[in-house]
Amino acid sequence: MDELDLLKKEWQSREQELPTLSYNDIYKMLLKKSSSIVKWIFYISIAELLFWTLLAFVMPESSEEVVDGMGMHTAMIIINIVHYLIFISFIYYFYKNYKSIQVTDSVKQLMKNILKTRKTVKYFVMYNVGASALMLIGFNIYYYLNKHRLFEVMSGEFGWGNTQLTEDKFITVFFLAQLIMGVVILGLLLLFYRILYGILLRRLKRNYSELKKMEV
Amino acid sequence: MTKELEHSFVTQLEANQNIVHKICRLYTHDQESHNDLFQEITIQLWKAFPKFRGDSKFSTWMYRVALNTAITLYRKKKRRVDTGDFESVSFKIKAEPYDDTMDKQLKLMYQAVKTLNDIDKALVFLYLEDKPYKEISETLGISEVNARVKMSRVKDKLRQILNP
Repeated sequence: MDELDLLKKEWQSREQELPTLSYNDIYKMLLKKSSSIVKWIFYISIAELLFWTLLAFVMPESSEEVVDGMGMHTAMIIINIVHYLIFISFIYYFYKNYKSIQVTDSVKQLMKNILKTRKTVKYFVMYNVGASALMLIGFNIYYYLNKHRLFEVMSGEFGWGNTQLTEDKFITVFFLAQLIMGVVILGLLLLFYRILYGILLRRLKRNYSELKKMEV
Repeated sequence: MTKELEHSFVTQLEANQNIVHKICRLYTHDQESHNDLFQEITIQLWKAFPKFRGDSKFSTWMYRVALNTAITLYRKKKRRVDTGDFESVSFKIKAEPYDDTMDKQLKLMYQAVKTLNDIDKALVFLYLEDKPYKEISETLGISEVNARVKMSRVKDKLRQILNP
């Protein structure tokens, strides 16, 4: 008989050494709030969904006028419709996956469902970052091809038509500013998610891969 | 109705609390975390209780929820500042040192089990609880064959830890 079996023999007979909670102690615990990882993931995901949805709504009026001035009104409407349809499907899938998380499932299934839920939000964020980057590139190419018109629209919009800012100078500053802003925002987002996912899911991922290894 | 449910739940958990304490001991390293985990398991059990139909034993049903909480759902808290909240719960847990009374060899074995990863620990725990492999595999969500293979590997691993 090996040591583990010895421990097994002892295991059952030593139960009296375990702590004992009274009926009231346990009853009081029912009133406490859970602080489980699923709850955290749920709140963070909701915050992310809200953040990206709100961001799509908040667009400065001046920027809208520039878009209109550049003759891209219809294109913007189509982009927005597609965008919201994708939003709705993401939120639907998130809700569906979230509901599938059951603590009474097997250890593996529970982890799988949590990771799936989290993945929905991850794809949602990736979609948003990707779509923003694509739109930024697309718009800038279009602006570049029509830079003269852009200069006219912008100078009319911001009322600096009579200043010494030449078209060439404006174009350089405009595109440089767009590029720097784009890279900085993207970099910050990626950093933020790396940290967030790292903290929340490290243990879960490690355990899940441990279980998956058993199946090989 | 809620009162009845609460009463039924608390009574059954009180009678079977040993299972939860044993899991808490395996997965935590100090009394405060033990209490935190016990509380989280209680909350998760309570949340899932309305779906417990009684077609299996309450204790059998508990293993899954308790292990899921310990392995996946529980997040270790930072040291708490608001001690008021803690005192109000007033756990009446004996402040005895962990497994002080065990024989030296068994104590070493227990310590070795505690060094295992979360999944292996669950496997060993269910084994120590004398659960059949069918139940072990269903709880973890792996096949019975894989559970057996893994168990023998874990035994080897424990032997190595004890006799390096």
